[in-house]
Amino acid sequence: MTPADHQRAAGSRPAAEGPELRSWGPLLALIVVSLGFGLAKPGFATVQNLWTIADRSAIPLILAVGTTFIILQGSIDLSIEGVMAVGSLTFAMCVLNSRTGLDLGVFGLVLASFAGAGLGLLSGLVITRLRVPSFMVTLGVWSAGTGIAMLLSGDQPPLIRDPMLRALGLGRSIAVPNLFLVAVAVVLLGYVLQSYTRFGRYSMMIGGGEDLARLLGLPVDRYKVLAFAFAGLLSGLGGALESARVGLGHVDVGAGQMFATITAVVIGGTSLGGGRGGVLQSAVGTLVLAVLTDGMIFVGVSPYAQKAVEGGLILLAVLVATWPLRSRLRIVK
Amino acid sequence: MKRVMFRPAAMTTLVAVIVVAGAPAAAAQPLCDKSEIRLVNSMREIAQPYHANLDKGGRWFAAWAGIKHYVLQLNQGDSDKQISLMRLLVATNARCTVFNVEPNADLVIKPMVDVANQSGAWIVTHWAHNEGLHPFDGNDHWIAHVAVDSMEAGVAISRLLVDAMGRKGGVVALQGRLDTDPARKRFAGFQQVLRDTPGVKLLDQQTANWDRTAAFPVMQTWLAKYGSQINGVWAANDDMALGALEALRAAGLAGKIPVVGVDGIPEAIAAVEKGEMISTVSSDAFYQGSIGLAMGTCILTGQTPLPATLSKEEREFYLKLVVITHDNAAQYLREPEPSAYAADWQCDKLWSRSTGKAF
Repeated sequence: MTPADHQRAAGSRPAAEGPELRSWGPLLALIVVSLGFGLAKPGFATVQNLWTIADRSAIPLILAVGTTFIILQGSIDLSIEGVMAVGSLTFAMCVLNSRTGLDLGVFGLVLASFAGAGLGLLSGLVITRLRVPSFMVTLGVWSAGTGIAMLLSGDQPPLIRDPMLRALGLGRSIAVPNLFLVAVAVVLLGYVLQSYTRFGRYSMMIGGGEDLARLLGLPVDRYKVLAFAFAGLLSGLGGALESARVGLGHVDVGAGQMFATITAVVIGGTSLGGGRGGVLQSAVGTLVLAVLTDGMIFVGVSPYAQKAVEGGLILLAVLVATWPLRSRLRIVK
Repeated sequence: MKRVMFRPAAMTTLVAVIVVAGAPAAAAQPLCDKSEIRLVNSMREIAQPYHANLDKGGRWFAAWAGIKHYVLQLNQGDSDKQISLMRLLVATNARCTVFNVEPNADLVIKPMVDVANQSGAWIVTHWAHNEGLHPFDGNDHWIAHVAVDSMEAGVAISRLLVDAMGRKGGVVALQGRLDTDPARKRFAGFQQVLRDTPGVKLLDQQTANWDRTAAFPVMQTWLAKYGSQINGVWAANDDMALGALEALRAAGLAGKIPVVGVDGIPEAIAAVEKGEMISTVSSDAFYQGSIGLAMGTCILTGQTPLPATLSKEEREFYLKLVVITHDNAAQYLREPEPSAYAADWQCDKLWSRSTGKAF
């Protein structure tokens, strides 16, 4: 056996069963959780509640797509909530609103996304050029984003008065919530990027072994910056869409989203160590969380116990999702 | 000339305070010249209308009273910072400084009162405070605690809600952070009204952490679960009420199901005016942001007796709340004129909004 053969043999074994098990675990968890709630409370399994869950998961799905690429590369993005705040205020102050004279309509969504991308770009550049760990940089950008949003907000959060954008946030197209349609489009875009572009393939390689990728001469830094800019863009968009929904630009639109997003990505089976997972898995992980939160209200778990129950169920979901991988996990950190 | 005159007077008073602390009618002499008085508003932040209005109230009072030194201290939700900002400021001119404090948490009140007692600065606190801690227990520089009766607020909106529902049907409740005192007491007020109204059934209660975006999906899930059984929505604050209202709007139910909240934020008042909310309750931020400064100024100028000589009812009292409904919403929609508060700032009217001894 030549070394090349050896490598091929070693590499092909996990490839044959790996991806399949990895993608089926979380899906299984989703089905089990849904069936469980459906059996416990028949009202849970209705079309109306299906769309309620879809609406609830729309913005988390958008955030999860961006975060997936970051985590695939082995980095972390803690700035989601700060970037969402900037996106929210940028959007609210550019469209027809109670504070400024602007009325840019849908273009406001574009500007909010660009503002988010700008912050992501900043994170990416500081991480790669100044070589500061992503954890610290994005923590700083989170605070900076919140601060910028507070300055923009002033003493009176801007109310959104554009009926078309409010309809985008609240309305439905043939029963399906509009925001969920946007989320599906973003997930598909993420899937295409991951599967059919250099950005996706390189992201996987960078996470799998950054030193190797560098040795191979890949422009690692460029793709890292790109991933942070992309994640920032989606966080900015997410903040803007949340604002279209609740009707104002607000510093706290992203409250709690950072941990929820990272949890969803990990439940989906994307490894925090990088190199494994993908956009569709993260989407499944996001749906698991949405079903859990919705289902707990349905079966009537006391609000005092919900956090504890949610924690327990998340652990369970991660176990179910990663059970087939146990034997192949090299290191647990 | 005035300054030269002033010093011996202040010294005498200071000695008097030390020697006969607590002696009645010891406050005829001004403790400070008006030009020396420094007014401080200490609060979380000013990104919310409530806090912005606290600040405005304080500035209005300073302008009305002709006091130039007004300081705004923002702690951004950091309790240690709220205490250390106070410590830094009292390094100079402490005895002519008045703090009007929106405590970041109940626990900051004790350390801030200690700073006041030690440095000679004056302090008035708002909202809740630690059980067993009182201004009249030897805290001579803690002028007063202006408490808000969250239970009363909960009862007020709940009565209006069940009346709007025709005293029958199903209701859902959005709670604030469960570990906070206002959340518990506002909900307790709701439960009290529910006990007296057997026709109204509480279908479910969830926490949305005071947060508008968190309230939205909870309301959506309720609509999927209970559908037309929901005849009313109770929220522990206006932000959550407005989040629920948007979920109702998405379902085409805005204005058809009564919603109530607490705080009296401008959007909620606008929603009450439009008929999409039934009621909200305001503690009047402009008043809260100014009354402590007015009390301190009256004491420093000698027009009000020293705190130690005031009654317990004056040192610790509940603030009269303003219940906003469709009938009076228009009046609160516009920002009030500063002059509207002038009567409350008179030194002999400082306790005009008290509803009695707190706690």
